[in-house]
Amino acid sequence: MPDRNVIINEEVVAEPDVVIKTEGLQKNFGELRVLNKIDLEIRKSEVVCIIGPSGSGKSTLLRCIAFLEEYSDGRVFIEGKLLGYKVVNGNLVRESQSNINKVRRNVGMVFQQFNLWPHMTVLRNVTDALRVVKKMDRREAERIGLETLRKVGMEDKTQYYPAKLSGGQQQRAAIARALAMKPNVMLVDEPTSALDPELVGEVLQVIQDLASEGMTMAIVSHEMGFAANVADRVVFLDEGQIVEHGDPAQIFKNPQSQRLIQFLDTWKSREL
Amino acid sequence: MIARYAPSLLQGLWATIYITALASVIAIGLGLAVSLLNAMPFRAVRWLCRIYIEAMRGTPILIILFIIYYGGPSIGFTFDAEPTGIIGLGIYGGGYFAEIFRAGFQSIPKGHIEAAQMLGIPKSRIITRIKIPQMLTLIIPPVTNQIILLLKESAVLSIITVAELTKNTTGMVAETFAVVEPYVMVALLYWAVVEGISFLGRYLERKISYA
Repeated sequence: MPDRNVIINEEVVAEPDVVIKTEGLQKNFGELRVLNKIDLEIRKSEVVCIIGPSGSGKSTLLRCIAFLEEYSDGRVFIEGKLLGYKVVNGNLVRESQSNINKVRRNVGMVFQQFNLWPHMTVLRNVTDALRVVKKMDRREAERIGLETLRKVGMEDKTQYYPAKLSGGQQQRAAIARALAMKPNVMLVDEPTSALDPELVGEVLQVIQDLASEGMTMAIVSHEMGFAANVADRVVFLDEGQIVEHGDPAQIFKNPQSQRLIQFLDTWKSREL
Repeated sequence: MIARYAPSLLQGLWATIYITALASVIAIGLGLAVSLLNAMPFRAVRWLCRIYIEAMRGTPILIILFIIYYGGPSIGFTFDAEPTGIIGLGIYGGGYFAEIFRAGFQSIPKGHIEAAQMLGIPKSRIITRIKIPQMLTLIIPPVTNQIILLLKESAVLSIITVAELTKNTTGMVAETFAVVEPYVMVALLYWAVVEGISFLGRYLERKISYA
């Protein structure tokens, strides 16, 4: 167990508007500290884009918030509830898997590699969790599945296996799979990094639509133009730390720190 | 001459086929169970699995058969030659299948499991709905291979007097003093069954390719 210098008494923090909150979040891989004292708050209906050079810890941050990685220190709260650990006599103890699932029940995740299950059709990919987790009968699950697939423009591909689809279609199906569970917040990890350039637009459009419907999202992205458009707030991460954050206009038009200026310069020179 | 011994050869062929089939069922069942136990978070259980796998892979099938056949009675298990052969071949093959299944589970991309975890699918359901179906499609070629090997290993059962193809052919050789013809004949019969198995394997592979 990593050392925890914060003594914690509460498992629940009552701030109804805050969907995700990290306090002093830290993550080490062995000797390497990939996240260092991350304090982040994401409020209801807010879209936060996380940008930064590769290796800066963006994806790790998202994965810690999803508890796909155990964090080493600090705390993560999902809708006010402590994620991954429980407090026993002032100490943090690893929570059981079923309780972890309970806390992140309203968290949807979209992965860079889509991660559709190859042995199921698109429709079954989307309906499986509805049936297993939400215990819906087949008809109800398929009704919701179809409705969600329509939303991402995949209603004519419901009976296809993932291998038959383009990357863009697979990613849209994967977004539908997460959406079908009616999450309160979506964690989106480099949704277009594995796509051919001509397929990027269709996926970003779906995410943009979600944003305008008021979905709360944390998005790790390399698409600066997209981030500038869709984000309410941009967080610039470098070497595991939040170097700068603010609204997109400020971050992109008026960067303060040397590292952000440098990062935006490299990105601009690549775009030309 | 071949015609005179045809009934005996066919009987032996049939015995070889069903012995291999039953042994494969036992081996696949054991292998799957061991590979699942091997993934459990209990060190003692994993240790036992490891010992079983290494023992089966490290011991010639003939020795395993001798131990069961001759050693069984002294601890109160007396089996006829044929069940001994089937069980011996089954537990021997189980060690190999366990490794095939383990490799199959490992080649499932971690992200597929993470996606399921994020949707709140419980661990047991992830195993039955995502891991096992995917693993099965990945392992059809090595499983086909292993069944073929079991078929050929079943010839060793002749040594503990199981009346299978090789045993019956040996009988024919002893009675007729013809050596080459019977053994070429029997080689062709084994080869025909092997072709049948690999045809089945390729058929399954095509059938469950999910494309």
